[in-house]
Parts: sequence; C-alpha cells; structure tokens
Amino acid sequence: MTLILGLESSCDETAAALVTGERRILAHRLAGQEAAHRPFGGVVPEIAARAHVEMLTPLVAAALDDAGIALDAVDAIAATAGPGLIGGVMVGLVTGKALALATGKPLVAVNHLEGHALSPRLADPELGFPYMLLLVSGGHCQLLFVEGVGRYRRLATTIDDAAGEAFDKTAKLLGLGFPGGPAVEQAARAGDPRAVPLPRPLIGSQEPHFSFAGLKSAVLRARDAGLHRAEDIAASFQQAVVDCLIDRTRRALAVSPRATALVVAGGVAANGAVRSALQRLAQERDIPFSAPPLWLCTDNAAMIAWAGCERYREGLIDTLDAPARARWPLDPTAEKARGAGVKA
Amino acid sequence: MRTLAIETATAACSVALLDDDRVLADLHEVVGRGHAERLVPMISELPDGGRADRIVVDCGPGSFTGVRVGLAAARALGLAWGVPVHGYSSLALLAAAALDEAGAPDRVAAALIGGHGELFVQSFAASPFRPAGNLASLKPEEAAAATSEALVIGSGAQSLIDARRTGGARDILPRASDVRHLPAEFAALAATPIYGRAPDARPQA
Ligand SMILES: Nc1ncnc2c1ncn2[C@@H]1O[C@H](COP(=O)(O)OP(=O)(O)OP(=O)(O)O)[C@@H](O)[C@H]1O
Ligand SMILES: [Mg+2]
Repeated sequence: MTLILGLESSCDETAAALVTGERRILAHRLAGQEAAHRPFGGVVPEIAARAHVEMLTPLVAAALDDAGIALDAVDAIAATAGPGLIGGVMVGLVTGKALALATGKPLVAVNHLEGHALSPRLADPELGFPYMLLLVSGGHCQLLFVEGVGRYRRLATTIDDAAGEAFDKTAKLLGLGFPGGPAVEQAARAGDPRAVPLPRPLIGSQEPHFSFAGLKSAVLRARDAGLHRAEDIAASFQQAVVDCLIDRTRRALAVSPRATALVVAGGVAANGAVRSALQRLAQERDIPFSAPPLWLCTDNAAMIAWAGCERYREGLIDTLDAPARARWPLDPTAEKARGAGVKA
Repeated sequence: MRTLAIETATAACSVALLDDDRVLADLHEVVGRGHAERLVPMISELPDGGRADRIVVDCGPGSFTGVRVGLAAARALGLAWGVPVHGYSSLALLAAAALDEAGAPDRVAAALIGGHGELFVQSFAASPFRPAGNLASLKPEEAAAATSEALVIGSGAQSLIDARRTGGARDILPRASDVRHLPAEFAALAATPIYGRAPDARPQA
C-alpha cells in the first residue's frame, strides 16, 4: 500500500493530508486564512506567507496524529512547488524537503495545477485517461486534454481574468464579501438569471479561449445603473459564466473525440450551476461526467498527496534542490494566448 | 550535545553542525534568494545528514522569505527527529561573534538591510554579552542618530556609517557556526519569526 503525505501552501490555505494509493484519505487538515485577509478584500501575499510558516508543521503533526501513523511509515512526501504565491510555496516545499531528508523518503514536487487536474481521480476510481478537463480556479481557466500523469495538452486558456477571479471581483463589486465564489452563488439563488443582459465574451469564437474581463466591466455598469437587485446581477453573471464555460468546453470536446470523460476541477467546480451545466453537456455527448466532492475542489492537501501518489507510482520523484516556482504551466509547449495576467 | 544551526536571514545560506562549542562541519554560501533550493541539500551534506539533538535557527530580523525558509526547515526537522527547535536573533549573532574577537571594542551596533530603505538596528555590549538597546527598523539617518558605537557590523553597516560620517563599518553576513559565540539564553528564543516590521498592506477604506 502506497502512503503519501501531502502539503499545500500556495495561496491562502495551509494544509496537510495523508492519502493511500487505494484512494483512502486517512487524514486531512486545513487552516484557512479568510479572516486574516478579509479586511484587505483579497489575499495579501506577505500575510499569507506569515500564516503558512506558523501553521504548517502543527498541521502535519495533527494529520499524522489523526491517522495514528508515524512519519516514517509514509512512502513519499509530496509538496506543492508552484505555481502560486512564492513566499507560501517556499514554506511548503522546504517543509517537504526537510521531512524527506529526515525520513530518507523521496520528495515529490507537485504542480498545484496537477493536484487539481488529478483530484477527480482520487474521488472516482472509474475515471481513466484520456479525459477532457475544465480547470476553473482562482488563478486559472483552462481546457486541458489529460493523456496521463504529467501529460497535459492545453487546448484553451483565459486571455484575461480567471473564472474564479471573475466571481471574486463580481462579489466585491456587489458588496457580497470575500471569498467571492460562494457568496455570488448564494446571492444568485435568490435572483433571476435572465434579469440583467450581460455579454458572453468569445462565445462562438473560432479561437478556443476564454475571456471574462468584459463581463466584469458589464457587471460594474449594471450595478452603477442602479436598476437591478444585487441578487439578479449575481444570477445573471453566474449564468453568463456558465454559458461561456459550456460553449468553450463543447468546442474543445468537438475537436477531441478521444476524450473518454468530461471532468471539472478547481475552486469554481464547487459551483452548483457550473456542475449541472457540465453534467448536461456530458450527457449530450454521451460520455461520463466526473467532478470531485466540493471540499476537494478548492485548495487542499489531499489532492496534492494524491497527485504525489500518482507521480510516485510512475517513478516521478524529485531532488532536494527542486525549485519553488511562481509560474509553472502544466503544458509548457502551449502557445502563448493573447492577453496576460494569468499564472500559467 | 549536537546542535544543528541554520542561518538564512540574509543573502547567506549557512549551516553548521556543532558538538557543544566545537564546530564539526560548517557550510556557507552566498545564495542571494536561493535559500529554498540550497538549504536542505546543504543540510544533507553535513555529517549524518545534519542529525542533531537540537536545532537552532535564525528568526530574523532580515529577509522575510529567508527567515521563513530557515524556520520551515528547522521546524520540519524538529518534528521528524523529535528534537527541540529554538531561535536566535540575526543581530545578536553578528554582535556576539564580533564582540568575541581579540581586541574587540566593548560595544558594537549591528545593522542589516531591511525593507523600504530602512535598516534593522540594535546595539550590544560585552562582558556579559547583552543588548544595549531595542531592535528598531530605521532610515539610515535615524539609525545614525540612534547609535553611538564606533564599530557597526552587518549588511547595513556601510549605509549607517555613511549617514553618520564617523566610525567603522564591517559588511559581514551572519554565519551559522557563529552560534557558538551566543550565550545559551540568546539561542533559546521561540522558533517563530522576528519580522521587525508589519506586512505592507492597507485595509480597504
Ligand atoms: N461555489 C463557488 N462558485 C464559484 N466560484 C467558487 C465557488 N467556490 C469557490 N469558488 C472560487 O474558486 C476560487 C478558489 O479556488 P482555488 O482554491 O482552486 O483557487 P486558487 O488556488 O486560489 O487558484 P489556482 O488554483 O488557480 O492557483 C476562488 O476564486 C473562489 O471564488
Ligand atoms: Mg487552487
């Protein structure tokens, strides 16, 4: 039985988890920092890094305790090595390296995005390769053709904001609070998705990519017009995002007949409207749909441990000088999409 | 009693293994920002992979990132080996080493480059070794006005002396093996960062 300790500290969650090759999550501990960042309306990198260094080792100890396992019993230590806020990434990666040195066990330096990308396989034993992945998180919005562990072909990415970023900015504009995704979804429940006419950038476009910046500006104009309830704006915004995601994903599936499943991962995958629309799209294409449980969508260490497990089983281990990376695309060969402001 | 010392608060990445006050091994590199890559490999190059009965680590002030890298490694090794981890101040380390030298003055000021053009400064006195003032983050002119020691040491020494126009500067980086100069109580701090400055962030209006 393979047993992996996973560490995550690339954004504003500090986490440690123990996961087996048989998909058993023996422990997972997570310390969020929402309260610390809330006064600033977004994640402050220095505040995040300060919290990670305080929290991580105690979380590792607590996870081992929860599972009743000695550190020496793990087969490898997996730590997020990027992409993300570099101060936090360094804390987790160096912690992982030191644990690896002390135990004599290998280090697996995990790409956080690969953590998200493989997380559906932790929850779903039936999910095999290749699959079409919609990766929608705070920093990313990509369509990836997943051929296997470490083998990703990026078909589309956002040319401006990530989908989660659009949720967060909309929440801020509507005064719904931080973090924005769950707040917008909550408000949208009480709103009419057809009430406010909003654009669907790049829908039907020949280029494969996403764009959300124009949608955000339209939300600002709708708010300032003062004609609509915040709930209606939230519901209409969410619907516009869903429409964009579905249009682009449908296009990607059409050019990828080998995809055996449609899969969603990343924080925005926690959104009920996004999940059910993707589910319908999968039905329409007659392929299975797979999405991790809600808690596995947003950042956590179980997905890092699992990605570490998948890599470890393929012999993909790293040396103790592995770099911490602020940027680290899953598909380094992908052409640069127009626009900027994304981590990969 | 074996001690592993970890020093990453400045551009130096420095580790040492000591048996009481005897230095068994001492590795010191100027890495700039590369601590996250070099530190653990350097520890692994020490005898027995750095295995010790206790760990002491620089808690700052200094590079926020460097301090966190050192603390992350120290705490993780402490957890894995089941040994205690304690901290020391970067400024105290510099001062204790300087004051122990033959012919040293009986007081010295330590100054490290901080953020926003400021220096982390503190004065120390010898016999017995003790702080002669509080830690402060100051502009070079303020630091010049606040210190009277003829000898100033550390990465910020030259800019303090330039502002003060008297005294001597010695631009040195802290070295892990110098922990042997620190009296025990100065290497017994809680293993948590001494930032010396609040994060740069303003709450929303
Ligand atoms: N229910 C929800 N509906 C919409 N968005 C959501 C929901 N829950 C979380 N999100 C969004 O998911 C994002 C957080 O996801 P995640 O933790 O995966 O991102 P991240 O780690 O910050 O970014 P990345 O993984 O790209 O580095 C935030 O932008 C948040 O608003
Ligand atoms: Mg994430």
